[in-house]
Amino acid sequence: MNKQSITQYYRKHRKAIVTATSGLLYGGGWSLGYLTSFDTASAAILVLATIVGGYDIAKTAYHEVTNRTLGIKTLVTLAAIGAIVIGEYWEAAAVVFLFSLGSYLEGRTMRKTRTALQELLEMTPDTATVRRDGELQEVPAREVEEGEVVIVKPGGKIPVDGIVVDGESAVNQAPVTGESAPIHKADGDEVYAGTVNQEGALDIRTTGAGSDTMLERIICRVEEAQEAQSPTESLIDRFAKYYTPAVIVLAIGAYAVTQNAILSLTLLVIGCPGALVIGPPVSIVSAIGNAARSGVLMKGGEHLERAGKIDLVAFDKTGTLTKGETTVTDVEGFGVADDEVLSLAATAEKKSEHHLADAIVDAAREQPTAATDGGATIAQADDMDAGRQSTPDPDDFDVVAGKGVIAHADGQEVVVGNRALLDDRDIDVPSRVADYVREREERGETVVHVVRDGDIIGAIALRDELREAAPGVVAALQDPGIETVMLTGDNERTAAAVAEEVGIDEYRAELLPEDKQSVIEAYQADGHVVAMVGDGINDAPSLATADVGIAMGAAGTDTAIETADMALMADDLERIPYAVKLSKATRWNVLENVGLAVLTVTVLLAGVLTSYVTLASGMLVHEASVLLVILNGMRLLRY
Amino acid sequence: MSDTTQFRVLDFDCPTCASTVERALSNVDGVQHVEVHYATGRVEIEYDDSVATPDAFAETIENQGYTPQPA
Repeated sequence: MNKQSITQYYRKHRKAIVTATSGLLYGGGWSLGYLTSFDTASAAILVLATIVGGYDIAKTAYHEVTNRTLGIKTLVTLAAIGAIVIGEYWEAAAVVFLFSLGSYLEGRTMRKTRTALQELLEMTPDTATVRRDGELQEVPAREVEEGEVVIVKPGGKIPVDGIVVDGESAVNQAPVTGESAPIHKADGDEVYAGTVNQEGALDIRTTGAGSDTMLERIICRVEEAQEAQSPTESLIDRFAKYYTPAVIVLAIGAYAVTQNAILSLTLLVIGCPGALVIGPPVSIVSAIGNAARSGVLMKGGEHLERAGKIDLVAFDKTGTLTKGETTVTDVEGFGVADDEVLSLAATAEKKSEHHLADAIVDAAREQPTAATDGGATIAQADDMDAGRQSTPDPDDFDVVAGKGVIAHADGQEVVVGNRALLDDRDIDVPSRVADYVREREERGETVVHVVRDGDIIGAIALRDELREAAPGVVAALQDPGIETVMLTGDNERTAAAVAEEVGIDEYRAELLPEDKQSVIEAYQADGHVVAMVGDGINDAPSLATADVGIAMGAAGTDTAIETADMALMADDLERIPYAVKLSKATRWNVLENVGLAVLTVTVLLAGVLTSYVTLASGMLVHEASVLLVILNGMRLLRY
Repeated sequence: MSDTTQFRVLDFDCPTCASTVERALSNVDGVQHVEVHYATGRVEIEYDDSVATPDAFAETIENQGYTPQPA
């Protein structure tokens, strides 16, 4: 080993070397004093042990004092100097060595927490294979430009965000969305940087590279979240600022009253607020890091702490508990042909952006023949869309929010909507129509009436399939006693059927978007801490009103990441019980750490006042408590 | 011209260490804004690049007894 590498080794392991040397000198000095009568030599070695171990501590204490931020190191330095001044060399060396050892161990464990993000950072590949001028070139991933085509071989990491333009493969998206099962990707599908191509080669047209990728945005968000202090952290930080000077004043006061220097120095040592100030941030950083690896973005300690108090989870129905892919299940004509009913409804709904309208128009397109548009023939339909019917435009069109549409086509007025819209327009509902509607709604389907020139000519039943995971997720939340509520715009009967199928405690039906917000406010007024789960865009008002807004399927939409307090990167409902339980575990973890810190100081204080605790044993217990809270917080990394 | 730079300090022992470094950095000429986070060890400095350089910040952090690493 040459001189340079020795210097490098020393720099890298300085803390460990200093602690070990101080410990050896401390052990040697103590043994010499205990076993022999060389008291002066023993004292000299113990002072040397104090200087070796205490130099760095005193240096930082000096900076603390000059920067007017009194901290633990100032207290330890004062205690060590005080002990030497009154001739308690053994105590001085012990305090310094134990503090140094504790700091070294703390440093090692804290480093693990601080680099929890490293795993996410390592997901990003360094290089990318780009097709430029017809040739393949390997370039740094950050230099790939938007619009270029990147080739990723099987087993390779995808270096950019982009769209597949050639090839087919299964892609493991766990780093970005937390989904454990690979997702099939083909032409036109979106892929993210940091995900792993498992099967076939993929050609990907870049939509974002370098720092403009979903993974980079996630990493950035997680880091910001870890740094946003929770209320407990802010409170303890403010408390600590006044606490340390108060400990010094208490030690001086104790000396003035008792003239007992040892008692006063021991108060300095045990008064260190270590475990109290270190505990909460370690718990929160660990929890946020763990959540990020599982595809759940927590926006900050404040939200995490609030999420720990959730006692009611409200779910939006469409797109959250259901797949959000509504399909027509049945068309019933009353006095007219079924396909005529569907075609007429499709014409009326053609310009609506409602998900029910999309399903009706899609179903009409799937019909092999054109029935009612007054002219289209099979031959024309073939010409237009490979055997599928084209839907003509309505002459005019009005949306009645939450109720349906009113349109005119070919001189006829067409109304497509729910019972409320029919009641508004004084349209009679014959009993056979009402029976059909009731029967379908009891199966959890949504039914719209089709009215031509004031007469009901048919009804269309639609269904949005439940997500398979929904009943399990609701049960998993109910298990620890969380109430569950479904909010939907559907009518009472459909909502009741879906709620029963999912096993949800309560449902609120026939809600307009603004009603959902009022329902959440009402629950809050009743004293509930409410989490709202939605898809992040049309549920924005209720997500913002809820104590904790949880957006689903946030990968790909920055809006969801921005508006929600918690964002599930994948459309995976099963992450919700995990996120809620993690938040609760974090809240408990913070409380455990604060409790442990307060208990340690209280017990030590009682020990000092009853003379059971010495300077060295006080420091030992103090350092052990600091290590214990760090280790307790780190449990959340593996939750 | 205003510029920003980041460091990472992995050997903070306590939140007070982070505040000490924050105060020391804010006293360096040309520093406009500084944030030091104990839990993540991230140091972010906004400064006037005609007055200060990142080297000066790294030296200040070292002088306080901590090891700055590039972020």
